[in-house]
Amino acid sequence: MTVGPTVAGGLKLVPETEHDWMLLIGIAGDSDSDLAGRLAGLMDEDSMWDEIVAPELTEEFSKQRIAVVKEVLKAREEEEDIHIVKSNAEFWYGALNQARLALEDKYKFGASEEVDPEVFEDSSARAAYFRNNFYSHVQGMLLQYVMIDY
Amino acid sequence: MMNAVDAPAHQTKTRSKEKTDRPWQVIVLDDPVNLMEYVSRVLIRIFGFSKEKAEELMMAVHQRGQAVVWSGNREKAEMYVNQLHSAQLHATLEKAE
Repeated sequence: MTVGPTVAGGLKLVPETEHDWMLLIGIAGDSDSDLAGRLAGLMDEDSMWDEIVAPELTEEFSKQRIAVVKEVLKAREEEEDIHIVKSNAEFWYGALNQARLALEDKYKFGASEEVDPEVFEDSSARAAYFRNNFYSHVQGMLLQYVMIDY
Repeated sequence: MMNAVDAPAHQTKTRSKEKTDRPWQVIVLDDPVNLMEYVSRVLIRIFGFSKEKAEELMMAVHQRGQAVVWSGNREKAEMYVNQLHSAQLHATLEKAE
């Protein structure tokens, strides 16, 4: 997969293999659908966060994941590259972030320079680690080239 | 503008006049996922901080594990935490000590 900025101020993802497409489709699969609930767990009971705020956030986070999967599936069907521009950058950033938060919650990678070498003995954790790095790299490029005024 | 300080430990729910008069603090918690640049930008967007102030607070979160980024009435504090959660940052609110 090639990822790079465009002269129009966007980011282009060029999947080259079936594995690349599966990686992008898998962003939603890596995500944690209970992120809103876990954030609500940081609040005291008086706030009623679970009842009032968490459902709205759940819907918001779900929209991000759905938007990304739809774009990937459409591009795959039409054999097109994927273009991330200002109007859909937040969805992409949010969906990638959800995936990374969920992977961190599951595998406890910590900061990249502190990864426990034992992580690499587990093939699923190793694969998750590289996906996490890829997601993080795309997020960095989104901030650098697309979400300039975020 | 307030400085970043370490957040207080959890407090009891005793309702005294003195306690209810104390402001609520919005606390951002560190996590190993959110990119530092992103955290700074979120703080600028939500609170209107300068780039320097946002980076100072972001570094306080990163180095101390958490930092108070705003204090005031509970209603507004909840609104800010809602926005921080929407940006997928770990945040909570507590009464000032």
